[in-house]
Amino acid sequence: MSSWLDYTINGLIVGNVYALVAVGLALIFGVSRLINFAQGSIYLVGAYIGWVAVVQLHTPLPLTIVVVAVAAAIVGLIIERFGLRPLQNSVRIAPLLATIGISFVLDQLVMLTFSPNPRALPSQLPDVRFQVGGGTIGPLDLLIAGVGLTSALLLFVFLRYSKLGWAVRATAQDRDAAMQMGVDVNRVNQAVFGIAAALGGVSGMLVGMYYNQIDTAMSLQATLKGVVAEVVGGAGNVPGAVIGSLLLGLVESYGVAVFGTSYRNLFAFLLLVVVLVLRPNGLFASARQAPPEPLTGTFIAPSRPVRIPRWALLAAAGIFAILPLFPVSFYVLQTLINAWLLGMLALSLTLVAGTIGQVSLGHAALLAIGAYTSALLSLTLNVPVGLAIIGGGLMSAALGTALISPSFRLRGHYVSIATLAIGEIVSLVILNWESVTRGPIGISGIPPLSLFGYELISPTSIYWFSFIVMVVLALLQGRLLGSHLGRSFRAIRDDDVAARAYGLSLNRYKSLAFIFGGFAAGVSGGIAAHLYSYINHETFNTQQSILALTVVILGGLGNVVGAIVGAVALVGLPEVFRIAAEYRILIYGIVLLLLVRFRPQGLLGTI
Amino acid sequence: MSNIDRRSLIKSSLAAVMAGAAARAAFAQSSEPILLGVSGPLTGPNAQYGTQWKQGFDLALDEILAAGGINGRKLAYNFEDSQSDPRQSVAIAQKFVSDPRIVLELGDFSSPASMAASPIYQRAGLVQFGFTNSHPDFTKGGDFMWSTSVSQADEQPLLASYAVRRLNLKKLAVLHLNTDWGRTSRDYFVNAAKEYGAEIAVTEGYIAEERDFRSTLVRVRDANPDGLILISYYSDGALIARQARQVGLKQVICAASSVYSPKFLELGGEAVEEVHVGTRYFPEDPRQEVQKFITGFKKKYNGQEPDAFNAYAYDAMNMAAAVVKIGGTDRRAIRDAFTKVKDVPSVIFGTATFDVATRRVKGAMNAELVVRKGQFALWDGKPT
Repeated sequence: MSSWLDYTINGLIVGNVYALVAVGLALIFGVSRLINFAQGSIYLVGAYIGWVAVVQLHTPLPLTIVVVAVAAAIVGLIIERFGLRPLQNSVRIAPLLATIGISFVLDQLVMLTFSPNPRALPSQLPDVRFQVGGGTIGPLDLLIAGVGLTSALLLFVFLRYSKLGWAVRATAQDRDAAMQMGVDVNRVNQAVFGIAAALGGVSGMLVGMYYNQIDTAMSLQATLKGVVAEVVGGAGNVPGAVIGSLLLGLVESYGVAVFGTSYRNLFAFLLLVVVLVLRPNGLFASARQAPPEPLTGTFIAPSRPVRIPRWALLAAAGIFAILPLFPVSFYVLQTLINAWLLGMLALSLTLVAGTIGQVSLGHAALLAIGAYTSALLSLTLNVPVGLAIIGGGLMSAALGTALISPSFRLRGHYVSIATLAIGEIVSLVILNWESVTRGPIGISGIPPLSLFGYELISPTSIYWFSFIVMVVLALLQGRLLGSHLGRSFRAIRDDDVAARAYGLSLNRYKSLAFIFGGFAAGVSGGIAAHLYSYINHETFNTQQSILALTVVILGGLGNVVGAIVGAVALVGLPEVFRIAAEYRILIYGIVLLLLVRFRPQGLLGTI
Repeated sequence: MSNIDRRSLIKSSLAAVMAGAAARAAFAQSSEPILLGVSGPLTGPNAQYGTQWKQGFDLALDEILAAGGINGRKLAYNFEDSQSDPRQSVAIAQKFVSDPRIVLELGDFSSPASMAASPIYQRAGLVQFGFTNSHPDFTKGGDFMWSTSVSQADEQPLLASYAVRRLNLKKLAVLHLNTDWGRTSRDYFVNAAKEYGAEIAVTEGYIAEERDFRSTLVRVRDANPDGLILISYYSDGALIARQARQVGLKQVICAASSVYSPKFLELGGEAVEEVHVGTRYFPEDPRQEVQKFITGFKKKYNGQEPDAFNAYAYDAMNMAAAVVKIGGTDRRAIRDAFTKVKDVPSVIFGTATFDVATRRVKGAMNAELVVRKGQFALWDGKPT
């Protein structure tokens, strides 16, 4: 029985750690309705500034905290001023994507400055332990809890009683009205970013001291956990973020208690999905919060799509089709094979995110389902590879739609968060369901691609195969968009209330879109499995989901040709920058930022 | 007639010029370095390992050059950043196999990235020399896949013997990284430990991004073992040791050789005192290969202490040089040379020779270390 007390205490301690990140996220979401994917990077920057202060300048703890807070706040102000303010009047997705780009840039800058080796960040507090239950807690645990709770309290007071706080809340509720009442919205945004960044930086430093280690890969995990905690608590609600964090910590701890360590993150993401399904605005969404925005215009940039004349498309397709007949290197062909595979994934995502308006941040899960299905069908049941890939597509369509259907009633950013969680859940199920998926060992010896008994192993034949599959899928999708069904999809995206009033069943149409999209993604995953011959739960990860979303937005939401152009561009860019070695992800991040800044509706525009 | 003479004169002088150019080209080619391809992470979550590889490679190359190179030619490598992502490692593989200058490939770091690229190397007939690839199926990819990676089938029984027979731990809790490496290692360890008469009280797998182990350690405490076994890398190993001490677990801790790094001491601090480590090499090992490696490394990198990944990379580069010395620059001959190299001086293996059947190096060395006063020291046989 005493163990349960220990699990509870441990859950609360780690919940405190999550709260430090979640509070900053909640503050920014409250004001700008923006999930700041760069918050984890500010946390990283804070940790390294803390390291410089402690290890090289030997600052005492109070001074360290001030130094880190000020430095991180400056980083936050720079991000706000140069990264996000120029995007104020563009589509909602643009700042979200910009924060992803900023996080690439910040992470990479820290890595280039400090090298990727982990460093020890010594705690500056005395190492005494107090016995609580069967375990102990130390001064740093208490300091973290203190900082989390105090900052939440201070923010609460600030928002409720100070003039700037009122302005922040007014801006959060209705930006235009606040502006008309004379609120300097830019100043409000600046203040919020500065405060959130200071908090993020200090939290990175404290967590670094808590574990006595910091490394340049710690930002993504911090962002993920922070986002989960924040959304569970009710996005934009500062006290809610603290409670959500503690709850997340407890659920993880109890999950470990009952099922074991390898299930830990599974429970974190399941908690998120359950909360979102039962209370779509989080547990503590206040009644007075502005109503959730309709899908209308949430992510869609109204723009006139670039119409590419039919002859030009045919010519481009023709050139790519005959490319292997010319003496091009296999490296170029392989890069293009990657582009075609990413293109299929992007077709899938552009349909669900662009055409029907359900943004997905967990799309790599569909690749994984397709890949595992196809690999297992061909390996264990000796199904011919061609059929196995189709089986992978069908399984992705069925299972993907079933998994994502609970998120159909969600709106705006909540959809992306729910799908992010579903993506993680699929990966963790693959890791733990050993009897079927072989767990962490993965599946090796997957037979190569073959068609009617002929093995496709030369890059040329794989190139043609994947190119033809992608073109067929693209043509089908083009037909779909031009049909009555496609128009219904877009009607749901543009105004779901009107669409429903007109008698469209939203869930049914969304399911149809996911079935078609799931099939394309599953086929892509299936081909990849046979191409790689080895897959495990890490082969299709969150980074690929983010990449797919980037492709789709870059190409223009809902735009079939755009998805393919985007795939070629984003597979090609890192290859072009390959000579830049360590700098290439930095350059990639900057290019992404510039694209978002100057062409937020995507290269070819939204259809 | 004279006309014809002049023409033939021009012809012959042209031929002479061309022959000279060809000779110069041939000469230029032989002074070009022999090129190896490296596919590994320089950015992304595994970037630290790519950086460590480079340090090990560069040190080995300096020494090879100082010793006269490969039959008078320089050895060099072309490091392509794959982020340990299979999509990028396959593209890099195509790049390497179609580049005639590349005679041998090293890497990638993780199993998905390495094994996704294997079919391409195999079909093109370019050796993929994976030196961190302990996945049991890596060398089954074909006869062009070779590995000096620590064979867990060799290493884990030695760790089990250290824990069970020498330290007399009879009831064990095993914490392992839940990856292909951690799982394979755990299975070898558990089998050997049971064979030696130990009881496995609990095994817990954790993912690489995990930072918080307190609840896991409560499970461990409730299983009441007399020793904790860590199948971890140095960063997570240090975290677990710290948190174990913080929550009041006082059991003996034993860790696999992968924690062997000065970073383990730095990150773990007081908490890793008295942690037992079975390791492949150890700086105070008097063997000449080890001492040369350590003094060379410290000299080249401002006194930095090398760790296990530095040593793997250093050994791999030396092995590559030994193979190229026998095989020349022909890819197929280099593959065959792997079956011929014998007793290559090695930090990790003492001397390394491949087992042609498994295409891996056999014969794990083992030093029984313990952390005392913030240093790795040979264990003196005294219980902690």
